[in-house]
Amino acid sequence: MIEPSPVSSSPRRAWRRQRDRLATALIMAGGIGVIGAVLAIGVFLVWEVLPALLGGVLEPSQIRTTLTPMAWGTLKAAFWAMAFAKPLALGAAIHSSLFMSQRLRSRMKPTLEMMEAFPGVVIGFVAGLLLAPWVERHLAGSLALLLVLPLGVLLAAEAWRRLPAAGRRHLPLTWAGLWLMPWLALLTWLTLAFSPGVESLLFGGNLREWLDAELGIDYATRNAMIVGLAMGIAVMPSVYALAEDALSGVPSRLGEGAHALGATRWQTLWRVVLPAAAPGIFAAVMIGAGRAVGETMIVLMASGNTAVMSLSPLEGMRTMAAGIAVELPEAVPGSEAYLLLLLAALLLFLFTFLVNTLAEVVRSRLRRRYRWLGGSP
Amino acid sequence: MRRRRPLPRSEGPWAWLAAGSVALSLLMLTALLLLIAVRGLAHFWPATVVQIEMQDGRLLAGQAVRELPLEEGHGNERLYFTGNRDLDGEIWHWLPVDAIASVERPPELTVLERRHHGRFIGRLIAVGDAGTIDGNHAQQAVWTRLEARLAALEQLRGERERLRREVLRPLIRRLDANPNDADAQLALVEANARVYDLQLAMRGEVALLESVDGRRLRQPLEEVLRAWRPNAMSLPQKLAAWAGGVWRFLAEGPRDGNTAGGVWPAIFGTVLMVLLMSLLVTPFGVLAAVYLNEVAHQGRWTNLVRIAVRNLAGVPSIVYGVFGLGVFVYGIGSSLDEWFFSDSLPSPTFGTGGLLWASLTLALLTLPVVIVATEEGLARIPVEQREGALALGATRFETLARVVLPMAVPAMLTGVILAVARAAGEVAPLLLVGVAKLAPQVPVDGEFPFLHLERKFMHLGYHIYDTAFHGSDVQAAMPLVFASALLLVLVILVLNLTAIFLRHHFRVRHGVQPRP
Repeated sequence: MIEPSPVSSSPRRAWRRQRDRLATALIMAGGIGVIGAVLAIGVFLVWEVLPALLGGVLEPSQIRTTLTPMAWGTLKAAFWAMAFAKPLALGAAIHSSLFMSQRLRSRMKPTLEMMEAFPGVVIGFVAGLLLAPWVERHLAGSLALLLVLPLGVLLAAEAWRRLPAAGRRHLPLTWAGLWLMPWLALLTWLTLAFSPGVESLLFGGNLREWLDAELGIDYATRNAMIVGLAMGIAVMPSVYALAEDALSGVPSRLGEGAHALGATRWQTLWRVVLPAAAPGIFAAVMIGAGRAVGETMIVLMASGNTAVMSLSPLEGMRTMAAGIAVELPEAVPGSEAYLLLLLAALLLFLFTFLVNTLAEVVRSRLRRRYRWLGGSP
Repeated sequence: MRRRRPLPRSEGPWAWLAAGSVALSLLMLTALLLLIAVRGLAHFWPATVVQIEMQDGRLLAGQAVRELPLEEGHGNERLYFTGNRDLDGEIWHWLPVDAIASVERPPELTVLERRHHGRFIGRLIAVGDAGTIDGNHAQQAVWTRLEARLAALEQLRGERERLRREVLRPLIRRLDANPNDADAQLALVEANARVYDLQLAMRGEVALLESVDGRRLRQPLEEVLRAWRPNAMSLPQKLAAWAGGVWRFLAEGPRDGNTAGGVWPAIFGTVLMVLLMSLLVTPFGVLAAVYLNEVAHQGRWTNLVRIAVRNLAGVPSIVYGVFGLGVFVYGIGSSLDEWFFSDSLPSPTFGTGGLLWASLTLALLTLPVVIVATEEGLARIPVEQREGALALGATRFETLARVVLPMAVPAMLTGVILAVARAAGEVAPLLLVGVAKLAPQVPVDGEFPFLHLERKFMHLGYHIYDTAFHGSDVQAAMPLVFASALLLVLVILVLNLTAIFLRHHFRVRHGVQPRP
């Protein structure tokens, strides 16, 4: 910290010094106060819940019966959200940090981050009222899309390899994120157009009934897969942004060295860049998981909100955040139900706080490592 | 010796899958935006009304909404919005496409927007006094007359509103202050009489309507808000009608259980809450950032606090809601009620969710955002600037106020805009601390103290949630929910873009790396 130069004492100077001390003290008091208020949130939850836990107001068996389904639902929702978000976000981060030109990347990053502008209510509403019934009607097509889209991309890659050099120059890999879009849209349309035929050929016309009869799998309209997809879209931009930062922060001399030795860009990534950036990517995924655990509105609107404990991604669940949102306004302050919900909030708080702290520590270590690797003074 | 593997010609499948994930993300983003924009904006377009004759001879009139494959058997069925709740009891009809004999578009089909029972779709027979109306008039003349009468009614309604707002309410307030004011009493009686006259002038006339299958209906004209003949409208007319629809959506309050009308109270509530929140969050956030970055001793503890504050931005919003409910509403609010509003207990004043508690909770929620953004801005200011000011004899406070803070203004602005963008879309905490399904009164009015912090308010995001999931007729409310969602997304998008632009601009201007 820079200390102000000592000033000689005249009345005006003395007053200025006085004022400086006063202002500094005020800023200090205010700053500490504000930070205290922000941190008070954890203190409040512990303050309310701990006496009840220690004083035996809450029975362990009761905690188990109430919180276990909710905790299970929370983890299940977060798992499926990450199952959708992780490949998309990491793939996009790798592509934009490695293959895109500087100019394209500076346009692409804000565009993908714009997905964060969709508030949870809007995504939840679209997922719950439009996507869920639509997927139910087109179950076979939607499931087929999970397979067709990656295969379609690989098909495009193979076709591109066989293209003459002039054609490859017109459709460079740098811009593949953009020119693959119409191809994927076409594939989606084709899959949906042909899936009813395939469905009637293989599953007797109705995949949902077939699943129920042959495999005994129950299908709920609002299920973990829908929640995972919706929440994946909500979580993906932040994971993408953090992972991209970690990848493009890797000192360029490392990658250049690998290129000079004849490695392709992908080999460079796999053997050099990714190991260097792995902690940062881990942190990005952790932060994403923290967000998925606490997301309320999407789960509230797109999951059935039924406390079912099952492994199946085709059934609904109830999460802690949604349970709090629905039940807390009706709970009488100080009652058992109220305390249980507060305990759930405390668990959410502790979990996200710990996960984020871990991620933050990892990220700051990583930044130090990059400086060391980059050899900057 | 190991044989050297040949170098591959291209990047291999994984690189392409990575490119594919970019394409897929962009595709989903576009699809989501397009879906919301199209469904939200199409609702206001005066859609074509068709007259359907079924094979069994049934006649219907309505707007086609969507088409789905039949549950059993082959072919599709189509959903029509047919209106006429008072005649049919329902406003939707699913018709098998194969059973439709003919579809026509007669230009004289009229749609009436009514205050009760929703829309009417059918033919207009006559307009006239309730007693003497008959059905033998030329179509065009009747339509012209209806338009003229509706315009006149609109004017009368405006006049009545003006009277209520400018004459009646001030008079009532005067009388409340001084009940023996004879002049005011006289004026009040006079104004009431004028309002009564206006209401009388609105009454009396009816429109004789006929549904396409021949059932007749006498519709009092004062209940009719608008009338249009979509099949006879030209493109400019439709465009004008569309613009009018958008405007009414933004400027009017909801009607008919949130299935018609607009979202003005929700917009107002959202904006007011966000304004209050930014008034709270800006000074405190900047104060905390200045303390952390400029005043506090930079050591292990400061770093720990910094990490903790950063992490609070990742704590779920519902947890903040729980904090707001437990501390603000049940803690501070109940105490306030006991001290100052004990005469109105047990009905709570501040001891229940309201505008103040919602803004405070959201301020707490967004405080980390502002602190982090401001700190980042402060850290980017070169040390030389501070050293220069100090070397010229400025005290630390003067350096801060005259040199450092002005340079950090864009960063603060970025932080506040990001905070506002986050707060505008946040609904979960509001479920706990004070949002209302339908607030009868806006929190701002002419009554002392003008801003009613204890009142519940309507919020755009909550409006979406509530209408879509707790409404009586979700199908009917859907287009308005889409329009509200579009509005919300646009607002947040614009705010985010402004923040991105400001941050970029700031970085380019200073061109400095952050302090390690």
